[in-house]
Amino acid sequence: MSKTQSSAAHLDAIDLEIMRASLDGIVQEMQNSLFRTGFSTIVRESQDASCAIMNERGDVIAQHVVLPLHIGSFPACCEAVLRNYDDIAEGDAYLINHPYEGGSPHAPDMALITPVFVDGLLMGFCASIAHKSDIGGPVPGSCSGQARETFNEGLHLPAIRYQRGYQRNVEIERIIACNSRTPELVLGDIRGQLGSSRLGEERLIALILKFGKDNAQACFARLLELSHLRMRAAISQWVDGIYEAERFVDDDGIELNTPVRIHVIAEKKGDSITFDFTRSADQTRGPANIRPPLVNAAIAYCLIALVDPNIFVNSGLFKAFNVKLREGSVMNPRFPAPVNTYNPTVHATVEAVFAALTNIVPEKSRADGCGSRSIILGGRSTYTGKGYVQYEILGGGAGARASKDGTSGTSVNQSNAKIAPIEIVESEFPTRVERFELIRDSGGPGKFRGGLGIRRDYTNLADARFSIRSTKHVIAPNGAAGGSKGRTGDILINPGQSDEKRLPTRYADYPLKAGDHFQLDTPGGGGLGNPFERDPERVLKDVMEGYLSIAAAERDYGVIVSGESIDQQATRNLRQKRG
Amino acid sequence: MGHYRVTVDTGGTFSDFVYLNETTHEISVAKIPSTPDDPSKAILAGIEHLLTQGVKADEISYFCHGTTVGTNALLEGKGVRTGLLVTEGFRGIYEVQEQSRPHGPTIFDIMYDKPALLAPASLTGEVRERTAFDGEILIPLDEQHLRMELRRLAKRNIESIAVCLLFSFLAPSHEARVREIIEEEIPGCSISLSSEIVPQIREYYRLSTTVINAYLQPILSRYIANLDQRLNGVGVATPQKYIMQSNGGMSTFAATARKAVATVLSGPAGGITASTLACRTTGFQNLITFDMGGTSCDVAMIKDGQPSVSNRGKIEGRDIALPMIEINTVSAGGGTLARVDDFGTLEVGPHSAGAIPGPACYSRGGTQPTITDCNLVLGYLGEDNFLGGKMRLDRAKSNAALAANVAEPLNMDVASAAEGIVRIINVKMQEAIKAISTMRGHDLRDFMLLAFGGAGPLHAGQIAQELGMAGVIVPLHPGVYSAMGLVMSDVKHDYIRSRLSPLTKTPLEQINHIFAELMQQARAELADEQFRPEQIQIEAALDMRYSGQGYEITLPCKAPLEPRDIGELRDSFDQIHQQMFGHKAPDEPVEIVSYRVRGTGLVPPVQSPIFEKRGLALKDALREIRKARFNGQWVDTPVYQREGLDVGMSITGPAIIDQLDCTSVIFPGHHARVDDYRNLIITMTGA
Repeated sequence: MSKTQSSAAHLDAIDLEIMRASLDGIVQEMQNSLFRTGFSTIVRESQDASCAIMNERGDVIAQHVVLPLHIGSFPACCEAVLRNYDDIAEGDAYLINHPYEGGSPHAPDMALITPVFVDGLLMGFCASIAHKSDIGGPVPGSCSGQARETFNEGLHLPAIRYQRGYQRNVEIERIIACNSRTPELVLGDIRGQLGSSRLGEERLIALILKFGKDNAQACFARLLELSHLRMRAAISQWVDGIYEAERFVDDDGIELNTPVRIHVIAEKKGDSITFDFTRSADQTRGPANIRPPLVNAAIAYCLIALVDPNIFVNSGLFKAFNVKLREGSVMNPRFPAPVNTYNPTVHATVEAVFAALTNIVPEKSRADGCGSRSIILGGRSTYTGKGYVQYEILGGGAGARASKDGTSGTSVNQSNAKIAPIEIVESEFPTRVERFELIRDSGGPGKFRGGLGIRRDYTNLADARFSIRSTKHVIAPNGAAGGSKGRTGDILINPGQSDEKRLPTRYADYPLKAGDHFQLDTPGGGGLGNPFERDPERVLKDVMEGYLSIAAAERDYGVIVSGESIDQQATRNLRQKRG
Repeated sequence: MGHYRVTVDTGGTFSDFVYLNETTHEISVAKIPSTPDDPSKAILAGIEHLLTQGVKADEISYFCHGTTVGTNALLEGKGVRTGLLVTEGFRGIYEVQEQSRPHGPTIFDIMYDKPALLAPASLTGEVRERTAFDGEILIPLDEQHLRMELRRLAKRNIESIAVCLLFSFLAPSHEARVREIIEEEIPGCSISLSSEIVPQIREYYRLSTTVINAYLQPILSRYIANLDQRLNGVGVATPQKYIMQSNGGMSTFAATARKAVATVLSGPAGGITASTLACRTTGFQNLITFDMGGTSCDVAMIKDGQPSVSNRGKIEGRDIALPMIEINTVSAGGGTLARVDDFGTLEVGPHSAGAIPGPACYSRGGTQPTITDCNLVLGYLGEDNFLGGKMRLDRAKSNAALAANVAEPLNMDVASAAEGIVRIINVKMQEAIKAISTMRGHDLRDFMLLAFGGAGPLHAGQIAQELGMAGVIVPLHPGVYSAMGLVMSDVKHDYIRSRLSPLTKTPLEQINHIFAELMQQARAELADEQFRPEQIQIEAALDMRYSGQGYEITLPCKAPLEPRDIGELRDSFDQIHQQMFGHKAPDEPVEIVSYRVRGTGLVPPVQSPIFEKRGLALKDALREIRKARFNGQWVDTPVYQREGLDVGMSITGPAIIDQLDCTSVIFPGHHARVDDYRNLIITMTGA
């Protein structure tokens, strides 16, 4: 068997599997510790944080996937540590959140990295990335939709040594604290990250001692190689070809009438794929840019979804594909182009790659989904004078799939946040939620319907500064294979009042007054297949469940519903006439 | 006239019975084939089994039952037609659920769906009302509008209805009034109020728990009524009839019928309760319970004699926010499959051969090697003594399956492959144990591993050694251990109320007032169930967190509290936070989130029988000498029959101990001793 012959061929198959299962356990333990010990809403409720174990070069060898983008960020952050320090020692801990020096998606995603030594030899790293509630900058939450440079995006730390000999550098903590609107939360989360890393370090050392350094290194190498080989083997089964797709992001937050183009040519040949993004838009003035580690992670996300969601997720997957990016483009911007609103661009990248590749794997095709969005309200409590940041991440409708409807009210693609409980939000912040429901008729029509978007209405009870970073308020989620688009999202201040105002897709620092209302609609997913081929019984069921109006049943599906049943004759006539 | 306790744990294949004669303390056990269409048939058969031995029905003074009727109805989607009432404008709470997908591979799985709604949107009504976060009524209940909604739902023939209004945990008056109106508008409809089921902050989890209750309540209540009638019919008329709950306590028939959701995760609770008795008899207060069966392995922690309890759990993606014994399940059992993929990687699990075709050695058509095949090849299991000899295992088939699927592709011999596979599955179970112990700051050196289930005692010795644990306990009846737990349980009811406030700024009277109300409720309910005041135990606890933190820690406390207790609570919160999470923040304010009270109705304890030496000789228990493989070496290993072992006997490993439904392996360097309760206590050299 030629496939088993490799650099690590002498490694015992049983030892390998035992070490892999142990690494899974260690990284899971780190993850649980981080979620439990996080101080901020973002870590504890939204779980916007993840952990990894890396080898001595910074390749991720184990990750319990919480946030798929971090697979790209960890190696880039670790590389910055390796590049800047030649005296890395046991007991060190490094912090980095710089998207250009390292690989954070944006500056609030702060990485904490600790080296792991056995008998004086650097064997690897334990690390976590956790979103910080605020690291300064012009707006609460530090993510201004109108940032023009990274200098508008909060405090940036290159790789810095936060601990030496297991002792914290208090000066660094003081610098971070005085650059944050919520210093206790940020420092609390960093300490949680530190605890998680130290747990991982202790267990990883024990594992390496048990199997020996050589054996452990051979295991790490083989795990990377296996993911690489598995991915190539799957790709080699697909037919060769060149496939093209494009998607657009509404705008960059500055030039409001210019959609941002994401374009991909995927060339599949043999057991590898090259993704050429060079025809994508130039880098944007606003914060829609993404850095190359995120492009790699987005591609890996698609390939894992198409090949096998259960594949071992590690850096080895990256060797199965090539990426061409143009410097100065939205996918490889020059410093200091702003990057804080990266998610819409990543969603567009994932959807473009999916659209290109499902030409090869049609049984995995799906329509586009809602993307993701965050809203941030910041203010100062009238009782305590303390700053607060209310941060919520919302999904919407997922795209319809080749054999079933899209999911309603869900996170999609690389984003996966929990929704904030209303009773917690109202108990902690001066906000009242007035409505929380799915939006009727928002799912894109198709033989399989797109999922429904979410509506959440709020009343603001104290003056606050409001920011939104959303997507697909202008350009609707695409349908697939003859399916129609989903409904766009929207953000309205004081809807139905004389001072009603629609904000752009991304907007920073809108001054909300006490008593102002705002209404957030999130997009529905696209439909898949011809809606006139949808089983009329399913159309009726959607009407009965309140997911579809009687008018839309007729308009979009050619199904006439009268009372609680289908008018079969009228439906046949209408479908014949229009179909 | 004697007094008997009869307990039954209904499983998918067998209903396990334990009969305790309270006068003589004698225990006997039976396995009766289950009758899934009507589980009460098997229960009656088990009662008959006792009656045919000359016991009179009225001598049965205590009956306890572990049931999966609710669990199965939930898993199979066979609950009743259920409606839901939410605050107007808030249907999204149930439809969006948590919004996120489970971590791990699911994030990449574009075909993943959330669990389907148990109360669909078409059966959901909206209630015009609103309570604010501080309990203030912002919109009074619109009764006229509610009646219209109910009439609409009534037309759709709902049999049960769940009600979950925002902040009802704080101000339950709207839900209470809604109940009265439902009773008027839809007479006979089963009603579940979130403010009664689990008055706890975080609307989605409260709602989900309430909906599951509504979905199952009529089914469980019919089942219990039918069972009660049948039991009364054969003369088992004792009022002491109980059902096991997820929290490890029992509940009377009547109380269970009102809170069906509390039984859904009760499956493993009996085994854990039995384990707490093992703490009393063996003197070991810290245990990891290790229940390995055919497809999965359940582990749980018992510290200082008390099982570890969690306040929220999931079943098939559905959330239940009720106290339940914390159990970690991993796909590892006798039927777990091993395979080698195209890249020479050896995978053990998660797939299982199930009952059909089962392991290759069962000769039911299985060709893939399983853990049971490995244990047979390694000589731990014998061909002739499985299930007391009722079933023959075919070692040649195990050999062939391992050779073709693992040994040859990896270019190794069959025995090494079997040994390697067992090591891998052991690591997976060890990780599951670490997740509930060392991951929470506990030192496994202080814990014994209590092994039961069909396969637990085969693997326990190796796992305990790898984890550096103190040793292993194999109880006398490892195959019917859950039913054993039902003999010795107490009645336990949990009460909770959420009210967010800073610890040091909450008036003491307010804290004590809430506790007083909950305790009064607990006492009243237990008194209703015929417990006398001296049989009632009340425990209070506070869920607290650092202000703004997401996880609460449950701290036991006394009630009522005195002024100086607040400072002590604060200190112990910091201390426990440090112990559980590795850091503390003594300068951060601490908040009370919820008040908890547990009311326990003490059932007279069981006297565990102490056995006398029977003067048996070890050599008489010897069945055979068999070659078994340890650390790559084949060793002549004595095989003993468990029933022939006498109190006080010692056995030095390697040795194998067979009994009717279970085999224990004593590894080289391990010593087993039979204690006065005929438990096997296994310790390791140097431990």
